[in-house]
Amino acid sequence: MTLTLTLRTAPTVPLEADVLSPDRLSGVSALEAAKLTVVHGNQRADLGEFFQVGGAADGELHLTGDLAQVKQIGTGMARGRIVVHGSVGMHLGAGMTGGEIVVEGDAGDWVGPEMSGGRIVVKGNAGHMLGSARRGSQIGVRGGEIVVFGNAGNEVGNGMRRGLIAIGGDAGDFAGVNMLAGTIVVLGRLAWRAGAGMRRGSIISMHPAELLPTFSYACDYAPEFLRVCLRHVRGLGLTIADSHVNGRYQRWCGDGIELNRGEVLILDSAGTASRS
Amino acid sequence: MGSPLRIVNGRVYDPANGVNGAVQDVCVRDGKIVADVPPDAKRIDAAGMVVMPGGIDIHCHIAGPKVNLARKVQPETHQDDVQLRTRLTRSGTGGTVPSTFATGYRYATLGYTTAMEAAVTPLGARHTLEEFHDTPVLDKGFFVLVGNNLLLYRLLQEGRREELRHALAWWLKVTKAYAPKLVNPGGDEMWKGQRNANITSLDDKIGSFDLTPRRVIAAFIEAGNELGLPHPVHIHCNNLGHSGNVETTLETMRLAEGRRAHIAHIQFHSYGAAAGKSQSNPTSRARDIIEYINTHPNISADVGAVMFGPATIMTGDAPLAYMLRRFGGNKWVNADTENESGCGIVPFRYQDRVYTNALQWAIGLELLLLSEDPWRMVFSTDHPNGGSFMSYPRLIRLLMDRGYRKEQMAHVNQKALDRSALRDCQEREYSLSEIAIITRAGPARLLGLTDKGHLGVGADADVTIYEEDEDKEKMFSAPRYVIKDGELIIEDHELRADHQGRLLHVAPDYDPQIEQVIEPFFEDFYTIRFANYPVDDRYVPNGQIIPTTPSVAAAPATAGTRT
Amino acid sequence: MGENLKVVRDATCTFCGCVCDDMHLTVDLDQKRIMKAENACILGKAWFREHGIEERPLALIGGRTATTEEAVEAAAQILAQARFPLIYGLSDTTCEAQRVAVAIADMIGGTVDTTTSVCHGPSGIAFEGVGESTASLGEIKNRADLVVFWGGNPAEAHPRLFSRYAVTPKGMFIPNGRKDRTVVLVDVRRTPSTPAADIFIQVKPRSDFEVLWALRALVKGRKVDPSIERRTGVSLAVLEDLVARMKSCRFGVFLFGMGLTMNRGRHFNSGALLALATDLNEFTHWVAKPVRGHGNVTGADNVVSWQTGFPFGVNFSRGYPRFNPGEFTSVDLLTRREADAALIIASDPADNFPKAAIEHLRRIPVITLDPKATPTTQLAQVAFTTATYGINVSGTVYRMDDVPITLRPAFESPYPSDEQVLTAIRDRVRALLGGNRLPAGAPVAAAS
Repeated sequence: MTLTLTLRTAPTVPLEADVLSPDRLSGVSALEAAKLTVVHGNQRADLGEFFQVGGAADGELHLTGDLAQVKQIGTGMARGRIVVHGSVGMHLGAGMTGGEIVVEGDAGDWVGPEMSGGRIVVKGNAGHMLGSARRGSQIGVRGGEIVVFGNAGNEVGNGMRRGLIAIGGDAGDFAGVNMLAGTIVVLGRLAWRAGAGMRRGSIISMHPAELLPTFSYACDYAPEFLRVCLRHVRGLGLTIADSHVNGRYQRWCGDGIELNRGEVLILDSAGTASRS
Repeated sequence: MGSPLRIVNGRVYDPANGVNGAVQDVCVRDGKIVADVPPDAKRIDAAGMVVMPGGIDIHCHIAGPKVNLARKVQPETHQDDVQLRTRLTRSGTGGTVPSTFATGYRYATLGYTTAMEAAVTPLGARHTLEEFHDTPVLDKGFFVLVGNNLLLYRLLQEGRREELRHALAWWLKVTKAYAPKLVNPGGDEMWKGQRNANITSLDDKIGSFDLTPRRVIAAFIEAGNELGLPHPVHIHCNNLGHSGNVETTLETMRLAEGRRAHIAHIQFHSYGAAAGKSQSNPTSRARDIIEYINTHPNISADVGAVMFGPATIMTGDAPLAYMLRRFGGNKWVNADTENESGCGIVPFRYQDRVYTNALQWAIGLELLLLSEDPWRMVFSTDHPNGGSFMSYPRLIRLLMDRGYRKEQMAHVNQKALDRSALRDCQEREYSLSEIAIITRAGPARLLGLTDKGHLGVGADADVTIYEEDEDKEKMFSAPRYVIKDGELIIEDHELRADHQGRLLHVAPDYDPQIEQVIEPFFEDFYTIRFANYPVDDRYVPNGQIIPTTPSVAAAPATAGTRT
Repeated sequence: MGENLKVVRDATCTFCGCVCDDMHLTVDLDQKRIMKAENACILGKAWFREHGIEERPLALIGGRTATTEEAVEAAAQILAQARFPLIYGLSDTTCEAQRVAVAIADMIGGTVDTTTSVCHGPSGIAFEGVGESTASLGEIKNRADLVVFWGGNPAEAHPRLFSRYAVTPKGMFIPNGRKDRTVVLVDVRRTPSTPAADIFIQVKPRSDFEVLWALRALVKGRKVDPSIERRTGVSLAVLEDLVARMKSCRFGVFLFGMGLTMNRGRHFNSGALLALATDLNEFTHWVAKPVRGHGNVTGADNVVSWQTGFPFGVNFSRGYPRFNPGEFTSVDLLTRREADAALIIASDPADNFPKAAIEHLRRIPVITLDPKATPTTQLAQVAFTTATYGINVSGTVYRMDDVPITLRPAFESPYPSDEQVLTAIRDRVRALLGGNRLPAGAPVAAAS
């Protein structure tokens, strides 16, 4: 059986529900779950004050409702599954190490900050700082996967060290900024300054992109790893055309200010990349 | 001040009064240790516990401009180490540079009741006092940076030694400082004025000045002694962290010529240079340093021990921080203060597998284990430079427990141990009495704080009570009770009250004529008005002037009054 | 002019972040007016002239006149009951008042944010990423032989940055003043500051980051494609010339403004400039300094930092400080309609915040402390009239270079200081809550 939580009373101020994680709810009955503590603004509250709770926890958690004011769902999650029928607030899957979160709606800022494993799928749009390092920290996502069907905001994968971030729509400014390694696939448009300060790692774009003056064109090629990667992304539900899988890509090296061992790959049929 | 209190059944360690583990009562009233209290006074049963004076940190970095920059630059270290508010106490954050409230409470939860901020620019004095206002429990003071001061350089260059002394006294008094501090004398002028150069020897010329570090250091030692300060000139020698710096350190100590001088975090100044191709690698010369100190009673030092784990390099020695910037994970802060100082900050981590880090760890222990006079080689980590003050309990265990020490030595870079003498001091274990000296009685004596560091009648009622434990780290991590100024701050290991400590400062007399010399310099080279520079008493709601005993000034010093 | 005149020497002007402390004020004590402000710039003169005593009620509750005590009670009730209260502003008051404001935020479990979040907040975030090489203004006066202004218009916004600190003054190693310095101005348009520069570099709007990134590459000896000119409007030759000057000066400084921090790229723009200054230290001495607007915004940064570990946008909901710009910054949390009460100190967000944020302020109980009537005081449920810092109130302010200065007030005000009102509110809230509010939650289990 699945534990189901349906939003009954919308919180009046942000609700922090880091307790909503399959590991932490393991073996908990609906009655017990309703008594778990959440933080409503500056005060404690019972989960049951906001949610109608049903079923029992067996590793899967279904949440229904507009949870845009609900933060920190799936914090530190290590296993199990969360499905959200609706939208969620900030810090979804913060620091998660395993398991899966699927959001049918939109997600707020800070999806999967500093996660190291597991998968987050957002069917709608995601906010800024998707798969990013916390402020002041140099290392972001250490592993795992984040898939966004819609658009994502600025600073996708800031400081990312390993893993995959795939975005079906557009990515905001500074995608892959200060990346250390890992892969970011953007099927829509890359906004400004992608890969600024990146050391290693790959940013893949299917559309022309204006790159920083510290990126240099290296070659055209059709890397094998990319085919594998794109087929995998297709398997996750994003629409990948065969022309993407089989296409040739311009390889731009950067960031020249750093190690210059990162790359931005731009689908050739997309037209020529240009320097900024 | 709390109600009268009698602590019974505890084993008392009060080395300043020759008490070494005797079971005897300690009585407290009106913030002081007293001979007796009425029979109905509150009692603390300290059976199975150790009673010591409150801990005194002689050299740490806990407040002021550079500390706040170091806080701001490391938000990622605060978020995972938080201090929750309680009904009575404020919240905060930790990491190696905690917020002010967290600093005060955390020191208290280790049994410390006094701490000296070791490097404050005169221009930053007001800022430091504002932070002290928000640093609870502790009594505090600060050392003011004078060793790269350009007006003082001008006076010295022109041979105006008398005026130098008066100007030094003026600076101490108007900033409400506790002691004068020299940091890498001459280094800041080289750094700021000579394209990021540095001083490499005591005889280098200091930029455009007709001066050398040798002259500067000697002059300040002399002036500090003449002023009869409770704590002498506190010296961060040139060449900190460099291989082979031991010669500079020994030469600096010799400059004192029998006069009082205190050498800060001497571990960082005790390096030889490896022979052959690995010349840049430091080696331990702790033996040479400790031999000098053992035989020269005019010299004292705090050790500046290193503990593995996170640290923050935070120093007036800007060229040093620049040298270390590549270890800072992309972060480096430099902050120049007009006419007064430089400053550098780098986040850092000491790793037991890294040769240099392991050697630094070993040298810190070596110095303490080889020391013959614990009163003059006292404890510090130069927090947070050698590690956070939160690592004190572990270092104490390393000193007290040779089995544990041996075990830890097995984990560190062995080549480094080969280059140190730590294996030769395996036998020694510090006693509780010696710990009480290097963490309380010694620092108090070196600082000239006669009311602190002991439990004799009339002393400040700053008392820490630890539960005896074989595991000394555990024991010193969480005292059962801490009493500050007679008030029970920690009870059953938990904060039970808030408390505002005092500011300890000096107010030496000077010839008022010296202001005629200083003011024109301000007009020309400062961007703050002379009249707006002195820190007024509003910044010291709870101050205590520690008297000076000048050997040359005409007027007698102000008596030790509380303001 | 009345008979009862007084001169206050070495007073401090708190109009802007220059915080000049060499004002000689002539005060008419009968009229409670400053007649003359010697040494003040045009902005400072206006500041001193305009701050007489206005006839305003001590406090208003729901638009009706009230005593300060009644208003304290009303404010305390609002704050004690709120679940997600915001405390905002603070850049035009003393550190002593700021300290109490942060204490209230901690006590009630609210959010404290300052105007930094809408001016140099990006520089604060950049600082957390790369650090900063910086200096007090006197170092610039005494040593800087290359001064680069970026994204600012000091001639109009900070006049004495030119005359007292960075361009014309003589210094210890700059004996001839202006003649010994090279002044560069980088901006998207010509301004009244432009004529002060030896070199003016006009960049296309929203291309500062690209220019800075190209400069960093050149400083590191990397090649930059001449196409940089198409994107930025600045030729490679101009950039190379600037790099040569920057590497060869003795003491270089960047003074940068909101033109850099508040355009697209924000904290990355500031970060690029800070990183460039750091890079240049390989060659010679370089520092950078954000040019701050409000008189004590730097004090606010400092106070909030030492009390919490973070400079602005700090939330105490769970019982300890958390920092996250975008989450706990005022414009963002008001726009998302999260705050359920607001205490606004010495600031006018109803005048300068985005519309959606202002609309939310109209929905929730707002408490204001301000010497004057403003759009924000007009929408407030509880509005205190307070004395003006630096003119009627002493206390501490921090200059843009973190140098603290003690204020010398010119004349007394019939109104209480911000610190007095905030202290009264704090004490009353404490009584209502029985101490600090107990923490609502333990630390969040994992990184967030």
